[in-house]
Amino acid sequence: MLRFPALKLAALAVTLATAVPAAAQNVIRVGVLMPISGPASYFGVQGKEGIELALEQVNRGGGVNGFRIQVQYEDSACSPLQATNTVKRVLEQFKPHIVVGEECSDASLAIAPILEQAKVPMLNAGSATNQLTESGYKYVFRIFPNAQQQGEPLGRNAFTKLGARTAVLLHEKTNAGVDNADGFAKAFEAAGGKIVGRIDFGRDVNDFTPIATRIAAMGKVDVLPTFGLEGQQVRLSQALAQAKVVKGGGGSAIQMGSIWLPWGYDAKAGQAAVGYIRIVQFDPTEKRKMVTDFNAAFRAKYGADKTPTHINAHAYDTILLIAEAVRRGAKDSESLRDRFSKMREVEVTTGKITFDAKGQNSDLSVIHFVETQPDLSWKSLNW
Amino acid sequence: MTDLLLLFTQQTINGIYLGCLYVLVALGLTLIYGVMNQINFAHADFVTVGAFAAFFVATRWATKWLGLPDTTGYLLSIVAALGAGALLGLVVNAAVFAPLRNRGDELRPLIATIGVSVLLENGQLALFGPIPFQFDSPFAQHTIRLGRIFFSQQSVLVVIVAALAIGGLYAFMKFTFLGKALRAVSQDRETAGLMGINENFLIALTIVIASALAGMAGALLGPVIVLTPFAGASVIVKAFAIVIIGGFGNMEGTIIAGILVGIIEAFTVQYLGSGVIDLVVFVLLLVMLVVRPTGLIAERREENV
Repeated sequence: MLRFPALKLAALAVTLATAVPAAAQNVIRVGVLMPISGPASYFGVQGKEGIELALEQVNRGGGVNGFRIQVQYEDSACSPLQATNTVKRVLEQFKPHIVVGEECSDASLAIAPILEQAKVPMLNAGSATNQLTESGYKYVFRIFPNAQQQGEPLGRNAFTKLGARTAVLLHEKTNAGVDNADGFAKAFEAAGGKIVGRIDFGRDVNDFTPIATRIAAMGKVDVLPTFGLEGQQVRLSQALAQAKVVKGGGGSAIQMGSIWLPWGYDAKAGQAAVGYIRIVQFDPTEKRKMVTDFNAAFRAKYGADKTPTHINAHAYDTILLIAEAVRRGAKDSESLRDRFSKMREVEVTTGKITFDAKGQNSDLSVIHFVETQPDLSWKSLNW
Repeated sequence: MTDLLLLFTQQTINGIYLGCLYVLVALGLTLIYGVMNQINFAHADFVTVGAFAAFFVATRWATKWLGLPDTTGYLLSIVAALGAGALLGLVVNAAVFAPLRNRGDELRPLIATIGVSVLLENGQLALFGPIPFQFDSPFAQHTIRLGRIFFSQQSVLVVIVAALAIGGLYAFMKFTFLGKALRAVSQDRETAGLMGINENFLIALTIVIASALAGMAGALLGPVIVLTPFAGASVIVKAFAIVIIGGFGNMEGTIIAGILVGIIEAFTVQYLGSGVIDLVVFVLLLVMLVVRPTGLIAERREENV
């Protein structure tokens, strides 16, 4: 207890001196909607790791242009219904200047019109469905390549580089899975290839042996483009290898995949992954300074034995992009939207970002193909 | 062998393997219903607990700490998962189910199973995190090939364990005093009590056996499912369907229905696509409810279990 008025005044002065700048501190509020519970919650956990690292770096020394970035995490559970309820509550209570998320296409499609109506930009880093940036929204921006951007080069290169003429599409029964498979089919058939089968599966399918059996019974198939979450893809690859369909099991078909698969898939699938060809956007083995710096900072924060995945990197990049928009003068939702729409070749860990008129990142310069080797390492294919 | 016959044989084998996995999960559900006339919504989470117990025993304790071979480690993990399930059942019954049951209300224990489910899911989420664990059985790496027919050693193991579990449970129910007492409780709880049978002990025993079966199922499912704290949920809906198709509380019906659903699933993938598996299974369930509401084995209620 302070007994003397002079001391009380001094204490008050100190309090005010520290309190006033804090109160006057400009803040960009970011609502982060990610699946934190449920089967897709690994997206949320890895996304949070990336965001926390970026926040540390961006807010160090007082933030950007006097603005600190403040984040509120919310669990949208990869579910359209929960995402809808959550985004309404976040808009009402937290009043974000921008929302980052969701990861799953179906949930992202559910929240996009709500954010559009509220005129709050949505920065998406993990949903693939084409519809997200093809629905005429003015406040939706996506750094993740859409299904068309992922499926098209896969289909084209399957035909031209691998000499494939037949394909069986394997995809989860979601907007993202369907769109990716459609993208592949369109390019592959346009080049002269033939889709001889299309097999979809729900996220509750566990045993892929019957699917592998069905494909084995189809006779010789050249490529198997597969679009699903990591856990199911591991089991699918193992079943295909067991049925001697894919290269990893002594067969001849080449399994192909998208950016969905995080780093670490090959180690989990083991020999079944050998020969797997996929496109990657974030490659932790890339020598670009932005990537090596990110790897170093990530390991310093989370452990020397941890290698960041594309989920970590995409989430990290969303904060970097918000900070860049603020550096360019953004201070509210409208100016954030304006700065995003003018971004050209902004370098982040997952490549360069140039938003087109629809809000889709159109710069695919760092996207490249890799093939899993017998020692489970990646070989870059220079396609 | 013609291609069509080959395909038929292969998908039948795939279906039997899948069916055995479902049977292992569904047996515990039907046992609890048969004796207690209650549905256990936490059963999926007992399966998940078993899967995690097996994972840590197989990949850490047995192989890394005790230096056992992978195969021995995995077999040991099945026993450990059985024990973990039994222990969990014992604790949950003592802490939650028994006190609520003693209040004479049937609804509260039912709702409590939902609470236990949420508690177990989130407890495991806090402990293990949401990133899928890679649980590979050493038996899954080895494929047995008979001409063009193939199946993994793991599927043989699953069928053997399922057969042993079914046989063991059947023998226990038919030939032991406790089994007979359990059947007496399932037929008429009050009269069984008047005959000197300790009803609470037998209900606890039922929960322990069902939970042990769920744990063991988890150990066998672990290398098949995507192992996360929510893993059990991916099989439990079908397990419920199997229990209803088989005849609620009827063990023989559950076994037949489980194998049948596994085979139907395999052939649905072959001829209709895996995207409609749930549709086919639940259409079958609805047809059964309309045509034969008592289930496949239409015994008298008191003869179930």
